[in-house]
Amino acid sequence: MSFRAIWVLSHEKGETVTLRFSRRYSTVERRAKCLAGPQYASIPEDCAISRLIFTELGLEDPDRLYVAARDNCVLHQESLILELHPDGSGRGILWPLLTVTQGGLIMACLPLVDSTATSRPPLSNQVSICQGIAFLSGLQAFMSAGSKALEPDILAARLDLLPTILLNICPLGTPVDTPHSAIFPFLAVPTPTGSQKQPAWKAGFHKGRSTVSVSVTETVRSMQYGNQNKQDLWDVYGTVVCKCEVEGIQPNITVTLSLPPNGSPLQDILVHPCVNTLDSSTLTASSMDYGDSSAFSGPYKFPFSPPLEPFRLCSYTSQVPVPPILGSYHLKEDNGQLQLSVLLKLHESVTNSFEYCEAHLPFFNRCQMGVLDVKVTSGQVEVSKEKNLLVWVLGQKFPKSREVTLEGAVHFSGQTAGPTDPLCTDGTAYIKLYFRIPDLTLSGCCVDQHSVQVYSSTKPRVVTSRDLVSSEYYIWNSTGLTPMLPGAMMM
Amino acid sequence: MATPTWSQRISAFLLSPSQFLSSITSDSFLAELLHELRDDKASDNTKVLLLSPFLDHPTILCPTVLAGEETTLELMSVLAQTPQKAVSLKCSLMLAISTVLICTTCMERQPKVAEDYLDQLFQTIEDTNDHRGGLSLQPIRATACECLREIEISYPGLLSQRLETLYQLKQQEITVVHQAYSSLYTLALKNAVFQLCQKEKVADADIKTLLCANEGFGWKAISKPLPPIIVSQMEEIPQVRTGVDCRELKSIVSSLLEESYLLTPISQAALFRELIDVVSMVPALSPALFKSQLLRLFGTAQVELVHAILMMKSAFTDSLFSTDDENFFLKRLVCMAQHPLLSVPEKLFYIDCISHFPENRPLSSQGDESLPVLVTPHLTVSLLPTVFNDSSTMLSRLKLMCMVYLEADEGEESKGLTYLFDHLMALLKIVDNHGRREMVVTSFRAVFIFLTYFSQIVKLTEVLIEKLSELYSRHCRLAPNLINLCDRIQDHLEDSVWPVELLKTLQRLVVEMPPSQLTLQNFSWHLKILKRAAMEKEIPQRSSIHFLLNALYHSSLCERGGWQVGNAILAVCRNLLLHPCVNQASVSIELADLLHQMTGHYDDTDIRDHARFYYTLLTNLSLEKLSGVLVQSQDGGQTKVRSLSAIMSETDGLSSHLAIHPTSGPILQLVRLQQVWSPPAASYTEDTTTEGHVLQHYRCQFSDSEFASEVTLKYKLAYLGETEPLFDKLFSICMSFDLKDSNYEDICDICVPCLFRDRKPPEVCLKLKPKQPYPTCFKVSAVISTEDGLTWRTQLPDVKVSFPDIFLPMPVPMGSSSSYKEEVFDRLWEDICATEADRSAISLFCFEVKENSLQEMNKQNFRNFLISEPSDIGECKVLFFLPPQFHVLFRINLTEDAVKIDIGTDNWELLPYINSYLLKITKT
Repeated sequence: MSFRAIWVLSHEKGETVTLRFSRRYSTVERRAKCLAGPQYASIPEDCAISRLIFTELGLEDPDRLYVAARDNCVLHQESLILELHPDGSGRGILWPLLTVTQGGLIMACLPLVDSTATSRPPLSNQVSICQGIAFLSGLQAFMSAGSKALEPDILAARLDLLPTILLNICPLGTPVDTPHSAIFPFLAVPTPTGSQKQPAWKAGFHKGRSTVSVSVTETVRSMQYGNQNKQDLWDVYGTVVCKCEVEGIQPNITVTLSLPPNGSPLQDILVHPCVNTLDSSTLTASSMDYGDSSAFSGPYKFPFSPPLEPFRLCSYTSQVPVPPILGSYHLKEDNGQLQLSVLLKLHESVTNSFEYCEAHLPFFNRCQMGVLDVKVTSGQVEVSKEKNLLVWVLGQKFPKSREVTLEGAVHFSGQTAGPTDPLCTDGTAYIKLYFRIPDLTLSGCCVDQHSVQVYSSTKPRVVTSRDLVSSEYYIWNSTGLTPMLPGAMMM
Repeated sequence: MATPTWSQRISAFLLSPSQFLSSITSDSFLAELLHELRDDKASDNTKVLLLSPFLDHPTILCPTVLAGEETTLELMSVLAQTPQKAVSLKCSLMLAISTVLICTTCMERQPKVAEDYLDQLFQTIEDTNDHRGGLSLQPIRATACECLREIEISYPGLLSQRLETLYQLKQQEITVVHQAYSSLYTLALKNAVFQLCQKEKVADADIKTLLCANEGFGWKAISKPLPPIIVSQMEEIPQVRTGVDCRELKSIVSSLLEESYLLTPISQAALFRELIDVVSMVPALSPALFKSQLLRLFGTAQVELVHAILMMKSAFTDSLFSTDDENFFLKRLVCMAQHPLLSVPEKLFYIDCISHFPENRPLSSQGDESLPVLVTPHLTVSLLPTVFNDSSTMLSRLKLMCMVYLEADEGEESKGLTYLFDHLMALLKIVDNHGRREMVVTSFRAVFIFLTYFSQIVKLTEVLIEKLSELYSRHCRLAPNLINLCDRIQDHLEDSVWPVELLKTLQRLVVEMPPSQLTLQNFSWHLKILKRAAMEKEIPQRSSIHFLLNALYHSSLCERGGWQVGNAILAVCRNLLLHPCVNQASVSIELADLLHQMTGHYDDTDIRDHARFYYTLLTNLSLEKLSGVLVQSQDGGQTKVRSLSAIMSETDGLSSHLAIHPTSGPILQLVRLQQVWSPPAASYTEDTTTEGHVLQHYRCQFSDSEFASEVTLKYKLAYLGETEPLFDKLFSICMSFDLKDSNYEDICDICVPCLFRDRKPPEVCLKLKPKQPYPTCFKVSAVISTEDGLTWRTQLPDVKVSFPDIFLPMPVPMGSSSSYKEEVFDRLWEDICATEADRSAISLFCFEVKENSLQEMNKQNFRNFLISEPSDIGECKVLFFLPPQFHVLFRINLTEDAVKIDIGTDNWELLPYINSYLLKITKT
């Protein structure tokens, strides 16, 4: 249940690896030595570590076509776990090394394997592995401070804080929390009065006006082929994020999700650890049952005692009967120009009020766009700066007919080659939709303001919201080959 | 150059302790660190930084138990003097002390300092709910708990006799620190129960007694350490016999579980692990205790908590999980293994969990490679790989699904198998469309995985061969990937014909290629394929020879090929020479033609020569002899493998015979020989110097560049234990020495002509030239040759040079009178006393002595360094000369009940070494 060492490294495009942080847990190392006996492999000095991790991640020599040690086809069969080869041979192998990379940042830890056996135990036997996964993902969140791209200043500041954080959450190699959710360094939490214990994951108490905000966001994904032989696919998953500013050590709150009368049940519900009990029926519906609609369909009650920070109370998936926007895409190559024909239909059950709606038509493995001759029934068409992407801005509303079309031809005449993509060759092409519709969920799932129960001395203000966003929403050219998905097998 | 700051020095140390300690000894670095830690002017942040070497590398700073004990004492006193408000520093100090105590094995001697420290930790945690120390001390209490927990993990059972106190503290604490108390108590409880399991006779009330125990520390746990406890990994879990009263234990476990919700998920996972062990060891406790937590855990999104269920499943199977529960849980795992909101590592972990799912009723118990029965194609269909997956997810899914469909055995027409195969085709299409390097590697890995499961389905593997060769025809840079695939499939599936079939197809593809498609660049890739194909006895080679002949005859290859292409052709030829097809006269003639053509027309002289050599071999030797010359011996190199023919072939032969091989472990060692001192010369010469100038005269010699301030140490070079017979005769042994610090001049390499196991080991003289006369240690490595002509490099055990090793007698001319020596001694002493403020120092060492032992000691240790005879009544004078020009002087006097040694030296930095030397020799 402990780590032997933790490292943070950074590199720029495969060059100049630097070790940004290192912490070795000597007492754990002593245990590792006792457990492994003659098979014990010691950890090399820090100056050698970065290179070893780098090689193992296959990042070395990015320009060489084939490097036996890196590209052997037997390697990395379960690349969740790496092994380090400090002396380049079969001896002294360090295993299992867990890594998480984000951009040019590599975070690694070496969990202690609780096993004296000479053969490697299955990962699923080891508490330290899943602790390591949770710890590293917390570390990643902490390092990036929530932003997707790593800002060098933020990174440097976070690295400076890391020793103090570890002093609190992993003082001697056995983690007690993850860096992300850790209570800020040495922020002493006031002693609670009374007999209730303060949850270890709660950094303090809220004082002042009570507010509870609950927002439901659904994400819809889709693959539409416009082909008789190929089933269109779409799925929806939702997350419920709460921010609770309520007084008390362990204030009790219950949030209830409800569905419209004929709604299909919420499936695969995953909850935050602060949810203290669950009705067994809540979890019964599973996407693995493929459309068994007899399952419990709510209302779904989630009693919990909230942490101070905003958190994801629960997530679910849902099977909705239709996708919000149904599209078709025909593309034909004709004498050096592409004939395009696009039709998008907004389903009648969907509110016709977008925050934004755009259709992106990228073109790969071609030259730059030249003459553009397209007509649209609604919105505007723009060409990206790189001249290989059409952006059809549909704005806030579809017309009354709820149908829009784009017809026309694109010439590719430029000299410079555009971006390449090994998947989208020949007729394989797609439109990707980006949209967000406020105050809508496809599953119909909602949180009624009045259903939020707060057991507290003061009555809090309750704010709820919902919205729908798209992600990976593809409409493929119906005349081209399309990548295969297991979805079709499930039908 | 500016002196490096502490922060620079600490980072340099942490980056590479060995390099850092080459300029300073660990003793002095330790002393500096401790000195700075005691300095009031240093900021708390600096001090926290100074403690990091203690945390990360305690055994380098404190290599001995004694050093560990002394360092602990020092750090404890720093801790005592640190003001309460320096919370962060206090915490770091506690961690450092715990680390040093545990890692230097100092704890095991149970010194008073360890007892004091444990008491102090205990007192700290006894202040529950910030009553005495106030809010700011919360982190200190938490750290104290963590230190105690680490000590208890390292010495299981140490806290087993204080369970009641720990329980009370855990109950009282209501601040966030309660988590630390709870984790500490749970660990101590588990260890105590484990200890009980080890007892032969367990009384009915033993568990009750255990829980109420409130005594001191269980030092017995240290003197007789338990094996490291991994209950879950034990083949047979030790159990407390049934009938023992465990009502209290049951209620404690329940209450711990009830409160588990208040802990962070990571700590919950640890708590569940310990409690699962406790319940497993006490049969009277029902696994149903966990039932109350299961529902909460079933819904969790947290990987640690999902894993906690898996551990419960694995430990208790159907005594906790009904068939429905089991199915439900497995379904959850599958769903999480592809959940859009979870991270890639989490999903990979769940895929691993699915393939190792602990079933209630496993069908087979044969190893871990068989898939759980419940994992069916229907259940896992959503885990089929897609081209949108990242590489690792795709490969893990592919592997799992291959196992699933192999197990399901639905036949060749199965939809699943078709899907997987179509997926492979899609991957190869991406490679064909100039996919990135990563994609190429991933695709070949996917092909490898697929083949390891389905190589027997000929229909599919044939299509695969077709696709791969098409791919090769368009992208011959894939040659190394294809060859690697063949090699690995042959390793894994010995009887598979697939690699041979693939190579056959590739060979055909190459030899039938129209000349217009052959560029010089492509040609090199093709040669690699032909070379590999020529290793397969089943593949006819005539077409390859024709192809090469054609290329040599009808293109400008001979002029433009250059050495590399020429060598690649020869590499093919070399494999052809070994191929059974040369048995056929016609093939043999054609090969001879090929070699002859190269001999005559190839532009590169070296290639021509080698071609001629092969030609000669082919035309003059019988085939048996030919293979005798060419085949490398497999039996550890008894034949001369370093033959000309091997050097020529481009790859393996060349590298393996010209390379220096590492030995698998040390085979040699240097064993110190006892120095034999010649007795001082008997003849006396007159001293011509006048009294006043004795010292000046004496010191004069140091300025002479000829003055040899060397220490010569004698060793014998011997075998270290049993070695392979190959190493029984060694030649041309060249030893090089690598100093670990910069206190000595570099040591020259030493060569020994030979070493035979059955002969007397040779003697080796090591000449050391100190810059500073400190003890040292150096690395020794040797390059050796074995009888078969191979060269090896081996590491010898480090050679340690102790402090007394560098003692030399007073450097005076042979035959100087003892009165002269005494005179020098006295003048030196006066000088040291007079210039004490400088580098000189005087000190005192006293010890008790038994009868005659002083004489004995003098004889044993100081014989060669005596200035005045020990038989003299009163004072005895001893002088050690330490090159390059330092002295250590002893005046030894016997007082009533002790021996008093006055120490004088002209280098105060030697004092710690002198002290430990004296401690050592007076210990007996």
